[in-house]
Amino acid sequence: MNPTIGRSEAHSVGPPVGGPAVDPVAGTGVSGGGGAVPLQSVVEDVLLAVPPWVWVAAAVLVFGLVLGYLTGMIVRRLLVRVGVPGAIEGTAFERTARSLGSSTVDIVAKLAAYFIYGVSVLAALSVARVSVADRFWNEVAALLPQLFVALFVLILGVVVGDKAELVIAERLRAIKVPQIGVLPRIAKYSIIYIAILIALSQVGVATLALVVLLAGYLAAVIFLGGLAFHSMLASGAAGVYLLLNQPYGIGDEVRIGDRSGVVQEVDLFVTRIEADGEEFIVPNRSVFDEGVSKRR
Amino acid sequence: MATPAELLDDVVEGIDDLFLFSPNTSYYERFADVDAEVVVVAPENAVGADNYVELPLSFRDVESRVRFGVEGALDQNLVGDGDVVACSLATFEGDPDTVVRVRVSESMRSGVYDLFVNSRADPGVIRDVFEVAIELGKKGQKGKPVGALFVVGDAGKVMNKSRPLSYNPFEKSHVHVGDPIVNVMLKEFSRLDGAFVISDSGKIVSAYRYLEPSAEGVDMPKGLGARHMAGGAITRDTNATAIVLSESDGLVRAFKGGDMILEIDPEDY
Repeated sequence: MNPTIGRSEAHSVGPPVGGPAVDPVAGTGVSGGGGAVPLQSVVEDVLLAVPPWVWVAAAVLVFGLVLGYLTGMIVRRLLVRVGVPGAIEGTAFERTARSLGSSTVDIVAKLAAYFIYGVSVLAALSVARVSVADRFWNEVAALLPQLFVALFVLILGVVVGDKAELVIAERLRAIKVPQIGVLPRIAKYSIIYIAILIALSQVGVATLALVVLLAGYLAAVIFLGGLAFHSMLASGAAGVYLLLNQPYGIGDEVRIGDRSGVVQEVDLFVTRIEADGEEFIVPNRSVFDEGVSKRR
Repeated sequence: MATPAELLDDVVEGIDDLFLFSPNTSYYERFADVDAEVVVVAPENAVGADNYVELPLSFRDVESRVRFGVEGALDQNLVGDGDVVACSLATFEGDPDTVVRVRVSESMRSGVYDLFVNSRADPGVIRDVFEVAIELGKKGQKGKPVGALFVVGDAGKVMNKSRPLSYNPFEKSHVHVGDPIVNVMLKEFSRLDGAFVISDSGKIVSAYRYLEPSAEGVDMPKGLGARHMAGGAITRDTNATAIVLSESDGLVRAFKGGDMILEIDPEDY
Protein backbone atom coordinates (compact mmCIF):
# COMPACT_ATOMS: atom_id res chain seq x y z
CA MET A 1 0.00 0.00 0.00
CA ASN A 2 2.86 2.33 0.74
CA PRO A 3 3.86 3.19 -2.83
CA THR A 4 0.27 3.99 -3.67
CA ILE A 5 0.14 6.53 -0.90
CA GLY A 6 3.40 8.00 -2.08
CA ARG A 7 1.98 8.40 -5.53
CA SER A 8 -1.20 10.03 -4.35
CA GLU A 9 0.88 12.50 -2.38
CA ALA A 10 2.88 13.34 -5.44
CA HIS A 11 -0.40 13.74 -7.23
CA SER A 12 -1.83 16.07 -4.65
CA VAL A 13 1.26 18.20 -5.01
CA GLY A 14 0.59 18.26 -8.71
CA PRO A 15 -2.39 20.64 -9.07
CA PRO A 16 -0.65 23.82 -7.91
CA VAL A 17 2.15 23.13 -10.39
CA GLY A 18 -0.18 22.13 -13.21
CA GLY A 19 -2.83 24.78 -12.62
CA PRO A 20 -0.99 27.92 -13.73
CA ALA A 21 0.45 26.12 -16.70
CA VAL A 22 -2.97 25.29 -18.08
CA ASP A 23 -4.53 28.67 -17.35
CA PRO A 24 -3.10 30.65 -20.27
CA VAL A 25 -4.25 27.95 -22.64
CA ALA A 26 -7.75 28.25 -21.30
CA GLY A 27 -7.60 31.99 -21.62
CA THR A 28 -6.63 31.96 -25.29
CA GLY A 29 -8.66 28.90 -26.22
CA VAL A 30 -12.07 29.76 -24.80
CA SER A 31 -12.05 33.53 -24.73
CA GLY A 32 -15.78 34.43 -24.93
CA GLY A 33 -18.04 32.46 -22.57
CA GLY A 34 -17.97 33.23 -18.85
CA GLY A 35 -19.36 29.76 -18.14
CA ALA A 36 -16.40 28.17 -19.91
CA VAL A 37 -14.11 28.76 -16.98
CA PRO A 38 -15.99 26.52 -14.55
CA LEU A 39 -16.26 23.86 -17.27
CA GLN A 40 -12.58 24.16 -17.94
CA SER A 41 -11.76 23.75 -14.33
CA VAL A 42 -14.09 20.76 -14.09
CA VAL A 43 -12.29 19.09 -16.97
CA GLU A 44 -9.02 19.99 -15.38
CA ASP A 45 -10.10 18.58 -12.08
CA VAL A 46 -11.22 15.38 -13.70
CA LEU A 47 -7.99 15.10 -15.65
CA LEU A 48 -5.95 15.76 -12.56
CA ALA A 49 -8.05 13.42 -10.47
CA VAL A 50 -6.90 10.58 -12.71
CA PRO A 51 -3.67 9.31 -11.22
CA PRO A 52 -0.63 9.58 -13.52
CA TRP A 53 0.07 5.84 -13.56
CA VAL A 54 -3.24 5.44 -15.35
CA TRP A 55 -1.75 7.57 -18.10
CA VAL A 56 1.32 5.38 -18.10
CA ALA A 57 -0.92 2.34 -18.28
CA ALA A 58 -2.83 3.85 -21.19
CA ALA A 59 0.46 4.61 -22.93
CA VAL A 60 1.60 1.04 -22.37
CA LEU A 61 -1.71 -0.18 -23.74
CA VAL A 62 -1.48 1.99 -26.85
CA PHE A 63 2.13 1.00 -27.34
CA GLY A 64 1.13 -2.63 -26.95
CA LEU A 65 -1.66 -2.27 -29.49
CA VAL A 66 0.66 -0.67 -32.04
CA LEU A 67 3.38 -3.22 -31.35
CA GLY A 68 0.88 -6.06 -31.65
CA TYR A 69 -0.44 -4.74 -34.93
CA LEU A 70 3.09 -4.32 -36.29
CA THR A 71 4.08 -7.78 -35.09
CA GLY A 72 1.08 -9.29 -36.81
CA MET A 73 1.98 -7.52 -40.03
CA ILE A 74 5.66 -8.46 -39.83
CA VAL A 75 4.87 -12.09 -39.05
CA ARG A 76 2.51 -12.22 -42.01
CA ARG A 77 5.07 -10.67 -44.37
CA LEU A 78 7.78 -12.96 -43.06
CA LEU A 79 5.68 -16.08 -43.52
CA VAL A 80 4.70 -15.05 -47.03
CA ARG A 81 8.30 -14.20 -47.89
CA VAL A 82 9.53 -17.57 -46.60
CA GLY A 83 6.97 -19.21 -48.89
CA VAL A 84 4.72 -20.70 -46.27
CA PRO A 85 1.45 -20.22 -48.22
CA GLY A 86 2.87 -22.19 -51.16
CA ALA A 87 4.26 -24.91 -48.92
CA ILE A 88 1.04 -25.54 -47.07
CA GLU A 89 -1.29 -25.17 -50.01
CA GLY A 90 -3.83 -27.96 -50.18
CA THR A 91 -3.50 -29.10 -46.57
CA ALA A 92 -6.74 -29.73 -44.73
CA PHE A 93 -6.04 -27.01 -42.17
CA GLU A 94 -5.41 -24.43 -44.85
CA ARG A 95 -8.54 -25.47 -46.69
CA THR A 96 -10.63 -25.19 -43.54
CA ALA A 97 -9.12 -21.78 -42.84
CA ARG A 98 -9.91 -20.75 -46.42
CA SER A 99 -13.50 -21.86 -46.14
CA LEU A 100 -13.80 -19.67 -43.05
CA GLY A 101 -12.54 -16.72 -45.08
CA SER A 102 -9.11 -16.75 -43.48
CA SER A 103 -5.80 -18.48 -44.05
CA THR A 104 -3.19 -20.22 -41.94
CA VAL A 105 -0.78 -17.31 -42.31
CA ASP A 106 -3.57 -14.98 -41.24
CA ILE A 107 -4.35 -17.04 -38.17
CA VAL A 108 -0.72 -17.32 -37.10
CA ALA A 109 -0.17 -13.59 -37.62
CA LYS A 110 -3.31 -12.80 -35.65
CA LEU A 111 -2.21 -15.13 -32.86
CA ALA A 112 1.11 -13.33 -32.64
CA ALA A 113 -0.70 -10.00 -32.54
CA TYR A 114 -3.14 -11.18 -29.87
CA PHE A 115 -0.26 -12.46 -27.80
CA ILE A 116 1.28 -8.99 -27.77
CA TYR A 117 -2.12 -7.45 -27.06
CA GLY A 118 -2.61 -9.79 -24.13
CA VAL A 119 0.83 -9.08 -22.73
CA SER A 120 0.33 -5.34 -23.09
CA VAL A 121 -3.06 -5.51 -21.38
CA LEU A 122 -1.47 -7.39 -18.48
CA ALA A 123 1.40 -4.92 -18.37
CA ALA A 124 -1.04 -2.04 -18.38
CA LEU A 125 -3.03 -3.61 -15.59
CA SER A 126 0.06 -4.08 -13.47
CA VAL A 127 1.21 -0.52 -14.16
CA ALA A 128 -2.24 0.74 -13.27
CA ARG A 129 -1.96 -1.21 -10.03
CA VAL A 130 -5.26 -2.93 -10.31
CA SER A 131 -5.05 -4.96 -7.20
CA VAL A 132 -8.16 -6.96 -7.91
CA ALA A 133 -7.34 -10.64 -7.91
CA ASP A 134 -3.64 -9.96 -8.06
CA ARG A 135 -2.68 -13.58 -7.83
CA PHE A 136 -5.10 -14.51 -10.54
CA TRP A 137 -3.51 -12.05 -12.95
CA ASN A 138 -0.07 -13.21 -11.99
CA GLU A 139 -1.00 -16.74 -12.86
CA VAL A 140 -2.57 -15.63 -16.11
CA ALA A 141 0.60 -13.71 -16.95
CA ALA A 142 2.65 -16.83 -16.28
CA LEU A 143 0.32 -19.02 -18.29
CA LEU A 144 -0.18 -16.72 -21.26
CA PRO A 145 3.09 -17.32 -23.13
CA GLN A 146 2.78 -21.05 -22.58
CA LEU A 147 -0.75 -21.02 -23.89
CA PHE A 148 0.30 -19.20 -27.02
CA VAL A 149 3.30 -21.47 -27.59
CA ALA A 150 0.97 -24.42 -27.16
CA LEU A 151 -1.41 -22.97 -29.74
CA PHE A 152 1.45 -22.33 -32.16
CA VAL A 153 2.75 -25.85 -31.71
CA LEU A 154 -0.73 -27.21 -32.29
CA ILE A 155 -1.21 -25.26 -35.51
CA LEU A 156 2.29 -26.16 -36.65
CA GLY A 157 1.64 -29.82 -35.89
CA VAL A 158 -1.65 -29.90 -37.76
CA VAL A 159 -0.20 -28.11 -40.79
CA VAL A 160 2.98 -30.20 -40.89
CA GLY A 161 0.94 -33.35 -40.42
CA ASP A 162 -1.34 -32.41 -43.31
CA LYS A 163 1.65 -31.58 -45.47
CA ALA A 164 3.38 -34.85 -44.60
CA GLU A 165 0.22 -36.72 -45.55
CA LEU A 166 0.08 -34.93 -48.91
CA VAL A 167 3.75 -35.48 -49.69
CA ILE A 168 3.72 -39.15 -48.77
CA ALA A 169 0.50 -39.73 -50.69
CA GLU A 170 2.07 -38.04 -53.72
CA ARG A 171 5.12 -40.26 -53.38
CA LEU A 172 3.06 -43.42 -53.12
CA ARG A 173 0.67 -42.57 -55.92
CA ALA A 174 2.58 -44.70 -58.39
CA ILE A 175 1.91 -47.74 -56.22
CA LYS A 176 -1.65 -48.61 -57.03
CA VAL A 177 -2.58 -50.56 -53.92
CA PRO A 178 -5.61 -49.20 -52.08
CA GLN A 179 -4.32 -50.28 -48.66
CA ILE A 180 -1.26 -48.09 -49.08
CA GLY A 181 -3.52 -45.10 -48.38
CA VAL A 182 -3.25 -45.85 -44.68
CA LEU A 183 0.45 -44.95 -44.54
CA PRO A 184 0.12 -41.20 -45.16
CA ARG A 185 -2.66 -41.06 -42.61
CA ILE A 186 -0.53 -42.82 -39.98
CA ALA A 187 2.27 -40.30 -40.59
CA LYS A 188 -0.19 -37.42 -40.29
CA TYR A 189 -1.72 -38.55 -37.04
CA SER A 190 1.67 -39.40 -35.55
CA ILE A 191 2.83 -35.84 -36.15
CA ILE A 192 -0.40 -34.35 -34.80
CA TYR A 193 -0.19 -36.62 -31.76
CA ILE A 194 3.31 -35.42 -30.97
CA ALA A 195 2.21 -31.82 -31.47
CA ILE A 196 -0.67 -32.30 -29.06
CA LEU A 197 1.71 -33.86 -26.54
CA ILE A 198 4.07 -30.90 -26.76
CA ALA A 199 1.18 -28.45 -26.55
CA LEU A 200 -0.32 -30.18 -23.49
CA SER A 201 3.00 -30.35 -21.67
CA GLN A 202 3.49 -26.65 -22.45
CA VAL A 203 0.26 -25.84 -20.67
CA GLY A 204 1.24 -28.13 -17.84
CA VAL A 205 -1.30 -30.90 -18.24
CA ALA A 206 -0.04 -34.25 -17.02
CA THR A 207 0.94 -36.16 -20.16
CA LEU A 208 2.86 -39.05 -18.72
CA ALA A 209 0.41 -41.67 -19.93
CA LEU A 210 0.43 -40.21 -23.42
CA VAL A 211 4.24 -40.11 -23.43
CA VAL A 212 4.35 -43.75 -22.42
CA LEU A 213 1.95 -44.51 -25.24
CA LEU A 214 4.15 -42.60 -27.66
CA ALA A 215 7.25 -44.40 -26.48
CA GLY A 216 5.54 -47.73 -26.95
CA TYR A 217 4.42 -46.75 -30.42
CA LEU A 218 7.86 -45.48 -31.41
CA ALA A 219 9.55 -48.58 -30.06
CA ALA A 220 7.17 -50.71 -32.09
CA VAL A 221 7.78 -48.67 -35.23
CA ILE A 222 11.54 -48.75 -34.84
CA PHE A 223 11.71 -52.40 -33.86
CA LEU A 224 9.28 -53.68 -36.49
CA GLY A 225 10.62 -51.27 -39.10
CA GLY A 226 14.14 -52.42 -38.40
CA LEU A 227 13.01 -56.01 -38.61
CA ALA A 228 11.12 -55.42 -41.85
CA PHE A 229 13.67 -53.24 -43.57
CA HIS A 230 16.88 -54.65 -42.22
CA SER A 231 17.87 -56.47 -45.39
CA MET A 232 16.87 -53.45 -47.48
CA LEU A 233 18.95 -51.19 -45.27
CA ALA A 234 21.89 -53.54 -45.57
CA SER A 235 21.48 -53.57 -49.35
CA GLY A 236 21.16 -49.81 -49.40
CA ALA A 237 24.35 -49.37 -47.41
CA ALA A 238 26.17 -51.72 -49.74
CA GLY A 239 24.61 -49.94 -52.71
CA VAL A 240 26.03 -46.61 -51.58
CA TYR A 241 29.50 -48.10 -51.70
CA LEU A 242 28.88 -49.74 -55.08
CA LEU A 243 27.55 -46.51 -56.59
CA LEU A 244 30.34 -44.39 -55.20
CA ASN A 245 33.28 -46.63 -55.99
CA GLN A 246 31.87 -48.59 -58.89
CA PRO A 247 33.97 -51.71 -58.49
CA TYR A 248 32.00 -53.03 -61.44
CA GLY A 249 29.94 -51.13 -64.00
CA ILE A 250 27.35 -51.71 -66.67
CA GLY A 251 28.74 -54.08 -69.29
CA ASP A 252 31.17 -55.92 -67.01
CA GLU A 253 30.94 -59.68 -66.75
CA VAL A 254 30.69 -60.64 -63.11
CA ARG A 255 29.86 -63.55 -60.87
CA ILE A 256 28.11 -62.99 -57.57
CA GLY A 257 27.70 -66.24 -55.67
CA ASP A 258 26.53 -68.75 -58.23
CA ARG A 259 24.98 -66.20 -60.53
CA SER A 260 27.05 -64.88 -63.36
CA GLY A 261 26.40 -62.70 -66.36
CA VAL A 262 26.67 -59.19 -67.76
CA VAL A 263 25.81 -56.29 -65.46
CA GLN A 264 22.84 -54.40 -66.88
CA GLU A 265 22.01 -51.99 -64.09
CA VAL A 266 23.26 -51.03 -60.65
CA ASP A 267 21.00 -49.09 -58.33
CA LEU A 268 20.89 -48.45 -54.61
CA PHE A 269 19.33 -51.76 -53.65
CA VAL A 270 19.91 -54.28 -56.41
CA THR A 271 22.25 -55.19 -59.23
CA ARG A 272 20.71 -56.64 -62.37
CA ILE A 273 22.80 -59.29 -64.04
CA GLU A 274 21.81 -60.87 -67.31
CA ALA A 275 22.98 -64.19 -68.64
CA ASP A 276 21.63 -66.03 -71.66
CA GLY A 277 17.89 -65.80 -71.33
CA GLU A 278 18.07 -65.21 -67.58
CA GLU A 279 18.09 -62.04 -65.60
CA PHE A 280 19.19 -62.11 -61.98
CA ILE A 281 18.16 -59.34 -59.64
CA VAL A 282 20.78 -59.59 -56.92
CA PRO A 283 20.38 -57.62 -53.69
CA ASN A 284 23.48 -55.55 -53.10
CA ARG A 285 24.11 -57.00 -49.66
CA SER A 286 24.94 -60.34 -51.22
CA VAL A 287 27.73 -58.57 -53.09
CA PHE A 288 29.25 -57.97 -49.68
CA ASP A 289 28.26 -61.33 -48.25
CA GLU A 290 29.61 -63.37 -51.10
CA GLY A 291 31.95 -61.05 -52.96
CA VAL A 292 32.14 -60.41 -56.65
CA SER A 293 34.43 -61.89 -59.18
CA LYS A 294 34.97 -59.96 -62.35
CA ARG A 295 35.85 -61.76 -65.54
CA ARG A 296 38.32 -60.25 -67.90
CA MET B 1 -33.48 -26.99 -92.96
CA ALA B 2 -30.09 -28.38 -91.97
CA THR B 3 -28.34 -27.17 -88.86
CA PRO B 4 -24.56 -27.01 -88.47
CA ALA B 5 -24.72 -29.69 -85.77
CA GLU B 6 -25.69 -32.21 -88.43
CA LEU B 7 -22.20 -31.91 -89.86
CA LEU B 8 -20.98 -33.72 -86.79
CA ASP B 9 -23.92 -36.13 -86.71
CA ASP B 10 -22.66 -37.76 -89.87
CA VAL B 11 -19.12 -37.99 -88.52
CA VAL B 12 -20.04 -39.63 -85.25
CA GLU B 13 -22.87 -41.82 -86.54
CA GLY B 14 -22.55 -45.49 -85.74
CA ILE B 15 -19.18 -45.30 -84.04
CA ASP B 16 -17.92 -48.18 -81.94
CA ASP B 17 -15.41 -46.24 -79.90
CA LEU B 18 -14.88 -42.67 -78.83
CA PHE B 19 -11.28 -41.50 -78.34
CA LEU B 20 -10.82 -38.44 -76.16
CA PHE B 21 -7.37 -36.90 -76.53
CA SER B 22 -6.12 -35.19 -73.35
CA PRO B 23 -9.60 -34.42 -71.96
CA ASN B 24 -10.05 -32.48 -68.75
CA THR B 25 -12.05 -34.09 -66.00
CA SER B 26 -15.41 -32.43 -66.65
CA TYR B 27 -15.09 -33.07 -70.38
CA TYR B 28 -14.36 -36.72 -69.71
CA GLU B 29 -17.23 -37.10 -67.29
CA ARG B 30 -19.64 -35.59 -69.78
CA PHE B 31 -18.85 -38.24 -72.33
CA ALA B 32 -17.91 -41.12 -70.03
CA ASP B 33 -21.24 -42.88 -70.49
CA VAL B 34 -21.97 -42.32 -74.17
CA ASP B 35 -23.17 -45.26 -76.20
CA ALA B 36 -19.65 -46.29 -77.26
CA GLU B 37 -16.47 -47.43 -75.61
CA VAL B 38 -14.57 -44.39 -74.37
CA VAL B 39 -10.77 -44.43 -74.57
CA VAL B 40 -8.62 -41.65 -73.15
CA VAL B 41 -5.38 -40.87 -74.97
CA ALA B 42 -3.20 -38.50 -72.99
CA PRO B 43 0.32 -38.02 -71.63
CA GLU B 44 -0.97 -39.13 -68.24
CA ASN B 45 -4.18 -40.63 -66.97
CA ALA B 46 -5.29 -37.60 -64.99
CA VAL B 47 -9.00 -38.43 -65.25
CA GLY B 48 -8.60 -41.99 -63.99
CA ALA B 49 -10.15 -43.59 -67.06
CA ASP B 50 -10.35 -47.38 -67.33
CA ASN B 51 -9.36 -47.40 -70.98
CA TYR B 52 -6.22 -45.38 -71.31
CA VAL B 53 -3.47 -45.08 -73.91
CA GLU B 54 -0.35 -43.19 -72.97
CA LEU B 55 0.75 -40.52 -75.42
CA PRO B 56 4.49 -40.22 -74.89
CA LEU B 57 5.24 -37.48 -77.40
CA SER B 58 3.16 -34.40 -78.06
CA PHE B 59 2.56 -35.14 -81.72
CA ARG B 60 1.59 -31.86 -83.23
CA ASP B 61 -0.04 -33.06 -86.40
CA VAL B 62 -3.42 -34.67 -85.99
CA GLU B 63 -2.73 -37.69 -88.14
CA SER B 64 0.23 -39.00 -86.14
CA ARG B 65 -1.63 -38.39 -82.92
CA VAL B 66 -4.68 -40.33 -84.11
CA ARG B 67 -2.51 -43.08 -85.53
CA PHE B 68 -0.62 -43.41 -82.28
CA GLY B 69 -3.83 -43.54 -80.24
CA VAL B 70 -5.39 -46.14 -82.51
CA GLU B 71 -2.26 -48.23 -82.50
CA GLY B 72 -2.04 -48.13 -78.74
CA ALA B 73 -5.69 -49.12 -78.42
CA LEU B 74 -5.14 -51.94 -80.92
CA ASP B 75 -2.19 -53.13 -78.89
CA GLN B 76 -4.25 -53.23 -75.72
CA ASN B 77 -7.15 -54.88 -77.56
CA LEU B 78 -9.41 -51.96 -76.77
CA VAL B 79 -10.44 -51.79 -80.41
CA GLY B 80 -10.50 -54.40 -83.13
CA ASP B 81 -10.00 -54.57 -86.88
CA GLY B 82 -12.87 -52.84 -88.65
CA ASP B 83 -14.06 -50.74 -85.70
CA VAL B 84 -15.15 -47.19 -86.44
CA VAL B 85 -13.62 -44.68 -84.10
CA ALA B 86 -14.41 -41.03 -83.52
CA CYS B 87 -11.56 -39.01 -82.07
CA SER B 88 -12.08 -35.71 -80.29
CA LEU B 89 -8.88 -33.69 -80.14
CA ALA B 90 -7.39 -30.25 -80.39
CA THR B 91 -5.80 -29.32 -83.70
CA PHE B 92 -4.83 -25.97 -82.30
CA GLU B 93 -3.76 -25.29 -78.74
CA GLY B 94 -6.37 -25.57 -76.03
CA ASP B 95 -9.78 -27.19 -75.95
CA PRO B 96 -10.84 -29.98 -78.28
CA ASP B 97 -11.88 -28.46 -81.61
CA THR B 98 -11.77 -31.38 -84.01
CA VAL B 99 -13.61 -34.64 -84.46
CA VAL B 100 -12.05 -37.24 -86.72
CA ARG B 101 -13.64 -40.46 -87.95
CA VAL B 102 -11.28 -43.39 -88.52
CA ARG B 103 -11.78 -46.97 -89.50
CA VAL B 104 -9.33 -49.20 -87.65
CA SER B 105 -7.40 -51.74 -89.64
CA GLU B 106 -4.58 -54.03 -88.67
CA SER B 107 -2.37 -52.30 -91.22
CA MET B 108 -2.29 -49.28 -88.93
CA ARG B 109 0.18 -51.08 -86.72
CA SER B 110 3.47 -49.39 -87.52
CA GLY B 111 5.35 -50.33 -84.36
CA VAL B 112 5.51 -46.78 -83.02
CA TYR B 113 3.43 -47.63 -79.98
CA ASP B 114 5.40 -50.81 -79.57
CA LEU B 115 8.60 -48.76 -79.70
CA PHE B 116 7.62 -46.77 -76.65
CA VAL B 117 5.70 -49.25 -74.59
CA ASN B 118 7.26 -52.64 -75.27
CA SER B 119 10.90 -51.65 -75.48
CA ARG B 120 13.35 -52.98 -72.98
CA ALA B 121 14.02 -49.53 -71.61
CA ASP B 122 11.39 -47.66 -69.61
CA PRO B 123 8.89 -45.76 -71.78
CA GLY B 124 9.78 -42.57 -69.95
CA VAL B 125 13.45 -43.02 -70.79
CA ILE B 126 12.75 -43.50 -74.49
CA ARG B 127 10.56 -40.41 -74.40
CA ASP B 128 13.26 -38.40 -72.67
CA VAL B 129 15.87 -39.46 -75.21
CA PHE B 130 13.48 -38.54 -78.01
CA GLU B 131 13.01 -35.14 -76.46
CA VAL B 132 16.75 -34.62 -76.19
CA ALA B 133 17.23 -35.68 -79.82
CA ILE B 134 14.41 -33.41 -80.98
CA GLU B 135 15.82 -30.51 -79.00
CA LEU B 136 19.25 -31.16 -80.44
CA GLY B 137 17.82 -31.35 -83.95
CA LYS B 138 15.98 -28.06 -83.55
CA LYS B 139 18.81 -26.01 -82.14
CA GLY B 140 21.94 -27.81 -83.28
CA GLN B 141 25.31 -27.04 -81.81
CA LYS B 142 25.91 -23.30 -82.02
CA GLY B 143 23.47 -23.10 -84.92
CA LYS B 144 25.18 -25.79 -86.94
CA PRO B 145 23.31 -29.04 -87.50
CA VAL B 146 24.65 -31.92 -85.46
CA GLY B 147 24.21 -35.64 -85.62
CA ALA B 148 23.86 -37.92 -82.66
CA LEU B 149 23.33 -41.58 -81.94
CA PHE B 150 21.68 -42.80 -78.77
CA VAL B 151 21.48 -46.49 -77.97
CA VAL B 152 18.87 -47.00 -75.26
CA GLY B 153 18.41 -50.14 -73.19
CA ASP B 154 20.23 -53.45 -72.87
CA ALA B 155 23.30 -51.43 -72.01
CA GLY B 156 25.35 -54.37 -70.74
CA LYS B 157 25.18 -56.13 -74.06
CA VAL B 158 25.69 -52.94 -76.03
CA MET B 159 28.81 -52.18 -74.02
CA ASN B 160 30.16 -55.61 -74.87
CA LYS B 161 29.48 -55.08 -78.55
CA SER B 162 31.26 -51.76 -78.70
CA ARG B 163 34.59 -50.27 -77.78
CA PRO B 164 35.64 -46.88 -76.46
CA LEU B 165 36.99 -44.31 -78.88
CA SER B 166 38.44 -42.30 -76.04
CA TYR B 167 38.02 -41.84 -72.30
CA ASN B 168 34.42 -42.06 -71.24
CA PRO B 169 33.30 -38.67 -69.91
CA PHE B 170 30.42 -40.30 -68.02
CA GLU B 171 32.62 -42.76 -66.13
CA LYS B 172 31.75 -42.89 -62.43
CA SER B 173 29.03 -40.34 -62.94
CA HIS B 174 25.36 -40.81 -62.19
CA VAL B 175 23.72 -38.75 -64.87
CA HIS B 176 20.27 -39.76 -66.07
CA VAL B 177 18.47 -38.55 -69.16
CA GLY B 178 15.66 -36.33 -67.97
CA ASP B 179 17.87 -34.59 -65.43
CA PRO B 180 17.57 -30.86 -66.09
CA ILE B 181 21.24 -30.33 -66.93
CA VAL B 182 21.39 -33.20 -69.41
CA ASN B 183 20.15 -31.31 -72.47
CA VAL B 184 23.01 -28.87 -72.23
CA MET B 185 25.51 -31.57 -71.40
CA LEU B 186 24.55 -33.80 -74.30
CA LYS B 187 24.60 -30.81 -76.61
CA GLU B 188 28.18 -30.18 -75.64
CA PHE B 189 29.13 -33.85 -75.94
CA SER B 190 27.34 -34.27 -79.27
CA ARG B 191 30.42 -32.91 -81.02
CA LEU B 192 32.20 -36.05 -79.91
CA ASP B 193 32.21 -38.89 -82.34
CA GLY B 194 30.54 -42.18 -81.49
CA ALA B 195 27.41 -43.27 -79.72
CA PHE B 196 25.81 -42.52 -76.36
CA VAL B 197 24.89 -45.64 -74.45
CA ILE B 198 21.94 -45.32 -72.07
CA SER B 199 20.75 -48.01 -69.68
CA ASP B 200 17.21 -49.32 -69.17
CA SER B 201 16.60 -46.97 -66.29
CA GLY B 202 17.99 -43.94 -68.12
CA LYS B 203 21.53 -43.74 -66.75
CA ILE B 204 23.99 -42.45 -69.30
CA VAL B 205 26.55 -45.21 -69.26
CA SER B 206 29.01 -43.94 -71.81
CA ALA B 207 29.69 -41.55 -74.63
CA TYR B 208 32.34 -41.97 -77.30
CA ARG B 209 31.42 -45.59 -78.06
CA TYR B 210 32.27 -47.17 -81.36
CA LEU B 211 29.58 -49.75 -82.07
CA GLU B 212 30.71 -53.05 -83.52
CA PRO B 213 27.60 -54.99 -84.40
CA SER B 214 27.51 -57.32 -87.34
CA ALA B 215 25.67 -55.37 -90.01
CA GLU B 216 24.76 -58.50 -91.84
CA GLY B 217 21.22 -58.57 -93.13
CA VAL B 218 20.26 -55.14 -91.87
CA ASP B 219 17.73 -53.60 -94.20
CA MET B 220 18.42 -49.90 -94.27
CA PRO B 221 16.87 -47.31 -96.58
CA LYS B 222 19.53 -46.37 -99.10
CA GLY B 223 21.13 -43.03 -98.63
CA LEU B 224 21.45 -43.14 -94.86
CA GLY B 225 24.99 -42.96 -93.58
CA ALA B 226 27.26 -44.89 -91.27
CA ARG B 227 25.61 -43.51 -88.12
CA HIS B 228 22.22 -44.88 -89.08
CA MET B 229 23.72 -48.14 -90.21
CA ALA B 230 25.52 -48.60 -86.90
CA GLY B 231 22.39 -47.66 -84.96
CA GLY B 232 20.16 -49.97 -86.94
CA ALA B 233 22.59 -52.86 -86.77
CA ILE B 234 23.13 -52.69 -82.99
CA THR B 235 19.38 -53.02 -82.44
CA ARG B 236 19.40 -56.23 -84.43
CA ASP B 237 22.17 -57.72 -82.32
CA THR B 238 20.78 -56.58 -78.98
CA ASN B 239 17.41 -55.68 -77.47
CA ALA B 240 18.30 -52.02 -77.52
CA THR B 241 16.48 -49.19 -79.26
CA ALA B 242 18.53 -46.74 -81.31
CA ILE B 243 17.50 -43.13 -81.71
CA VAL B 244 19.46 -41.34 -84.39
CA LEU B 245 19.58 -37.67 -85.23
CA SER B 246 20.78 -37.20 -88.79
CA GLU B 247 23.32 -34.48 -89.39
CA SER B 248 22.48 -34.16 -93.09
CA ASP B 249 18.68 -33.94 -93.09
CA GLY B 250 18.00 -33.17 -89.43
CA LEU B 251 15.42 -35.94 -88.99
CA VAL B 252 15.15 -38.12 -85.91
CA ARG B 253 14.79 -41.81 -86.63
CA ALA B 254 14.20 -44.71 -84.31
CA PHE B 255 15.35 -48.26 -84.89
CA LYS B 256 14.32 -51.45 -83.19
CA GLY B 257 15.13 -55.01 -84.11
CA GLY B 258 17.10 -53.73 -87.07
CA ASP B 259 14.12 -51.96 -88.62
CA MET B 260 13.39 -48.29 -88.88
CA ILE B 261 10.21 -47.74 -86.86
CA LEU B 262 9.72 -44.02 -86.73
CA GLU B 263 10.92 -41.00 -88.62
CA ILE B 264 10.06 -37.55 -87.36
CA ASP B 265 11.03 -34.00 -88.16
CA PRO B 266 12.12 -32.10 -85.03
CA GLU B 267 10.57 -28.95 -86.44
CA ASP B 268 7.11 -30.52 -86.04
CA TYR B 269 7.28 -30.71 -82.23
